[in-house]
Amino acid sequence: MKTRIALYAVGGSLILLGLRGIVTESEPRSWVVWFAGAVLLHDFVLVPAVLVIGVLTAWLPVACRTPVRAALIVAGALTLVASPMVLSTGQRPDNPSILPLSYGRSLVILLALVVAVTAIWLLRKRTQK
Amino acid sequence: MVRQPSVLGRFSSRLHDERTASWLGIWLGVSFGVAFLTGLISHFMQQPPDWLRWPSRPVNLYRVTQGLHVIGGLATIPLLLAKMWTVYPKLFQWPPLRSARHAVERGLIFLLVAAALFQMVTGLLNIAYWYAFPFFFTVAHYWTSYILIGALIIHVVNEWAKVQRTVMKRPEDGVDRRAFLFTVAAASGAVMLTTVGETFSPLARLAVLAPRRPGVGPARLPVNTSAVAAGVTTTARKPDWTLTVTGQVERELTFTMAELRALPQHTERLPISCVEGWSASGDWTGVRLRDLLRMAGVAADAQVRVESLQRGGPYRKSWVDPPHWRDPLTLLALDLNGAPLDLDHGSPCRLIAPNRPGVLQTKWLHTVVVA
Repeated sequence: MKTRIALYAVGGSLILLGLRGIVTESEPRSWVVWFAGAVLLHDFVLVPAVLVIGVLTAWLPVACRTPVRAALIVAGALTLVASPMVLSTGQRPDNPSILPLSYGRSLVILLALVVAVTAIWLLRKRTQK
Repeated sequence: MVRQPSVLGRFSSRLHDERTASWLGIWLGVSFGVAFLTGLISHFMQQPPDWLRWPSRPVNLYRVTQGLHVIGGLATIPLLLAKMWTVYPKLFQWPPLRSARHAVERGLIFLLVAAALFQMVTGLLNIAYWYAFPFFFTVAHYWTSYILIGALIIHVVNEWAKVQRTVMKRPEDGVDRRAFLFTVAAASGAVMLTTVGETFSPLARLAVLAPRRPGVGPARLPVNTSAVAAGVTTTARKPDWTLTVTGQVERELTFTMAELRALPQHTERLPISCVEGWSASGDWTGVRLRDLLRMAGVAADAQVRVESLQRGGPYRKSWVDPPHWRDPLTLLALDLNGAPLDLDHGSPCRLIAPNRPGVLQTKWLHTVVVA
């Protein structure tokens, strides 16, 4: 119990330390917008979208569900991480070494790879039966 | 009677359970811990407190810690999203608040989730050089990490017993968690494999999603701040440029480019290790900083400041502590990969030292001040 209380105290102090830093050194107003906004977007846009896709995959034949869902998870993660590179908003004319690749093409190739691997997985499942 | 809202019964996947959440939670705890520690290393390397002296070796230490921070952070994104999907039904628990204690607990969970998402989003946008947020990235990312780690400690204390209980026993419910966890790991792996080459150059060709590519840039090395962005395109090209060694020295010295090139030249292979996670090595040629300082006559424990031609900005000058300026690898470089420095790499003269964040490898030098 003593360790529990001590750890609560440590955790609480770190939270307060962080909040104090934000208030005194950062821009708390815009920070709050991004801090809470991230949760709202995640909880009420991203996850509901994922849930809808999950429900749609339930219409697939049972044998296909796991491979297709796995493919969607991997493809979704790659797309999410790639999105700021694909948009390439950070490119600047004075420095071509920033975002030097064609990220849209990269992403298309990766997604095609995911589809190919999933197709092989499904075919093998079928032939094994 | 407690009334269950109809929404809860509609989460039909049996993966929304304690055991899945526990395994993902353990992985997340490790990756957040690593991100926090490597983040602190980066922060305190750039703003060391008085009592702290960073060593100049191992040469690639910062390269590894910051690579872990950024590539590990990217790999954490699928883990975090999977974990929050798993526990998402809890968002709709009924009644929303059972007691004051429960209210505090949920408030802390909000802080944890918000801080984790905030770090992911701002970190990802920052390495893509997309400054969509009005606040200064490093300050907000640094202070939010304390909120995240504090809320995480409390969360771990609260969930510890539950995690131990569910992880230690073999489940007999026939739910295929393994396929789901493997998939999440595969998603993290795919993210890592397509980005890690920006810091681990043997895999550079696989880094198709990384914002940087080792080998792409002037003299085959990427650039962070260009001469145009630094506003030095005129001053750094002046033919009457000189380098001055001044401050607490026995003899104040001034060198023209020809005089610098007449001094003993050394070539060292050192990396630029950027805070944004990419790194790449180059063969730098120039004068050892310690040779110059010995010529000027300085105390062995002197603090040295190098100053750039840049007019302003937080990285116009940087401190070089004794472990770094005494290290024979620390150069005032004039050449990179066999050719005179490109203007974007800091021509006419830049600092290059081992185990040091890229932003402190000050470019376009004109003064070395001994304090």
